[in-house]
Amino acid sequence: MAQLRQDYPEFVKRQAQVIVVGPEDAKAFEAYWQQHDLPFVGLPDPKASVLKLYGQEVNLFKLGRMPAQVIVDKVGMARFVHYGHSMSDIPENAEVLALLDQLNV
Amino acid sequence: MPKVSLNTPAPDFTLQNFQGETVRLSDFHGKAHVLLVFNRTFV
Repeated sequence: MAQLRQDYPEFVKRQAQVIVVGPEDAKAFEAYWQQHDLPFVGLPDPKASVLKLYGQEVNLFKLGRMPAQVIVDKVGMARFVHYGHSMSDIPENAEVLALLDQLNV
Repeated sequence: MPKVSLNTPAPDFTLQNFQGETVRLSDFHGKAHVLLVFNRTFV
């Protein structure tokens, strides 16, 4: 999340908005956003409705959700889908930004 | 478990942001690309 925060201007430059969806409630989101001064849209999803819709994997052994990233382009098509297989399995921002560059050609 | 496939329409959804405002994925269509980040817990 810190890495995303750091590169946020690069996302803005590429006309991309960052939306973070998580299982916490609004209070937890607010606290985290204030603590880290995050510019992203934060969507609490305690019922996991969107998380289920997008099929975020739940690792029963670790009782945690695996990170996932999806790029939705301006017409609503999924252009990049990454489902993490471990907690640290997150794509590099450079990869995501390069893809956004392609969408903007 | 269903997953989103590449180059197919991303499922639309509506949620409230933590400030209580309604946010719809399709609100961004025609305006901006969206990087959706599904986060694990913050701790």
